[in-house]
Amino acid sequence: MAKKVMKCLLYLLLFLSGFFIVTFTVYFLNLDMKLTAAIEPLLQKHYDRIRRDQHL
Amino acid sequence: MAVKKAKKMINPEKIRGDVRYGDLYKLGGKVRKRREWRGVKDTLYDYSRWLGIMFTLGKFVAVPRNVKGMLRYRWMANYLAVPMMVDRHTQGLRGEYLRMCHTQQDLIIIDVAKLLNNLFRGDRRIGNDKAFSDKVVLVDENEMTAVMMGFPTLKGLSRETPSTYVSVLLNQHAAEHYIDVAQEFGLAGDVCPMPEAEAGVSIDDDAPVLGKCAIQCNTTCDGSLLGNGVISRRLEKEDGIPVFQLPAPLRHREDDVQEYAAEEIRRAIRFIEEQTGEKWDWDYYFECARRVNIATKARNEWLDMNRTDYPQIFGSNLALYTETNYMAICGKVPEFEKADKKLMKLARKAYAKRKMAAPEYRHRAIVWGVQSHFYMDFLVWLLNCWGIVPLTDMLSMINTEMIAETDTPENREKAYYDMAWLTENMIMRNRTHGGYRVLLDELFEFVEMFNADMIILWEHITCKALDGMHGMFEDRARELGIPLVWVDHQLFDPRVVSRQGVRDQINTFMRTVMQEEPLDPSLEILEDGNSW
Repeated sequence: MAKKVMKCLLYLLLFLSGFFIVTFTVYFLNLDMKLTAAIEPLLQKHYDRIRRDQHL
Repeated sequence: MAVKKAKKMINPEKIRGDVRYGDLYKLGGKVRKRREWRGVKDTLYDYSRWLGIMFTLGKFVAVPRNVKGMLRYRWMANYLAVPMMVDRHTQGLRGEYLRMCHTQQDLIIIDVAKLLNNLFRGDRRIGNDKAFSDKVVLVDENEMTAVMMGFPTLKGLSRETPSTYVSVLLNQHAAEHYIDVAQEFGLAGDVCPMPEAEAGVSIDDDAPVLGKCAIQCNTTCDGSLLGNGVISRRLEKEDGIPVFQLPAPLRHREDDVQEYAAEEIRRAIRFIEEQTGEKWDWDYYFECARRVNIATKARNEWLDMNRTDYPQIFGSNLALYTETNYMAICGKVPEFEKADKKLMKLARKAYAKRKMAAPEYRHRAIVWGVQSHFYMDFLVWLLNCWGIVPLTDMLSMINTEMIAETDTPENREKAYYDMAWLTENMIMRNRTHGGYRVLLDELFEFVEMFNADMIILWEHITCKALDGMHGMFEDRARELGIPLVWVDHQLFDPRVVSRQGVRDQINTFMRTVMQEEPLDPSLEILEDGNSW
């Protein structure tokens, strides 16, 4: 039982460490903003294609 | 007259981590090379708040109708830049200052996410929840929402807040498309670009369509009236949403206009009751009024601190939060009461420890006029680049008086006057309207009160309300020996004056008139013309 709990804790620790390493790298290197900056022009093209009832 | 000079203050505490903030900018890039290193403790705190923002955004996009809204409305693309907006406003902040900024900004993000979620829920094109839409009263972006303080079952939602106001905070270029659309359809190019962009959203068929009725206000200017006319025409004639015009008196300090102002509030409330079938709830009103007073007390205490050598909540920390809490929230959201109390605790703690937000305080400035919205973090830049402490700004100098908060027959009558007072003293219009006393005289009273040694005067080049007094500001500053610098900008349109154009005006003034060198030279010239 104790072994099982230890194993679970180890997996949890590994998961949390992995989560921290990945997310902190994304955070510190600003990768989230670099990705969204690349997405924005694609969205603009999409908006240009939408038909709109433009008038005063 | 000798030129006034504040004492220079050196921070005894070393600023941990990065100190050359300009090095984080990428030449011509949209985003920065990396995030700021603030020492282990503050970097981990900032990282934890970033995770919180990611969670808020994740929760938002997990709702399918919000994704649909994102793909329908052009202005939604600006919300890709939410984390960067927070990075811009937290630049150089450590300890309590960083925590204060996150307390405010993270709450504003949650509140705007809720607003978007509600807009898309009721929007005929997206969620099309008719029952929900029938509980929505549309309000202007630049409008005090006091008339909604007695309607707990209704939602007062602003379409302009997320489509233009917040969008430009997120991305300096956000309004350009809509300004161009408005001008393509013949609207004048020399009006304020804010209402022009709002009208552009309506002309471009890019505003969510929802609500049982709408309230428009004559705040704040001629451009605002122009924009409202265009928007209300579409609302009433095409969308079938009746609009009430709430005209608040311009000479708002005069006693003889208050009765008229209160009557307009009564009429607005009657209109909402008639349109929605809901009844005004006095219990809810006084509950909101109590929270309005808590926010006012907190702001008054922050301003008192800013009169001392150790200001705590100032610059964009004061400006952005005040605009949101005073005008859009107006006591209706309990979370802001909690935030007010938390901010007060942090400010008192930092004040007791005589904390400073930068390595040096060289000047104490009052920032006056209508600020460049596309460069709200200019106040952070002033502090980091030149050691100029923006003690307070015109838009934060609003109501300081308590309103009636207990339910009595007399207070029910007074409540109409209180709501009228709050509406008349809406951000910006309480200074740009009301005559020379509120715009000119009180500025110099604040200079004395805050022991300021510098005035930074925004010259929003299409704002007629301020332009007429240009010479009077200069004459008075000369008489009193206060260095005054004008900073030109075009509010929502960085194509007219860029962010670097804004900075250059300060850089030139500081080098030539003040004969000083920057605190952080890496910030003097930045390649951020393409940046969000």
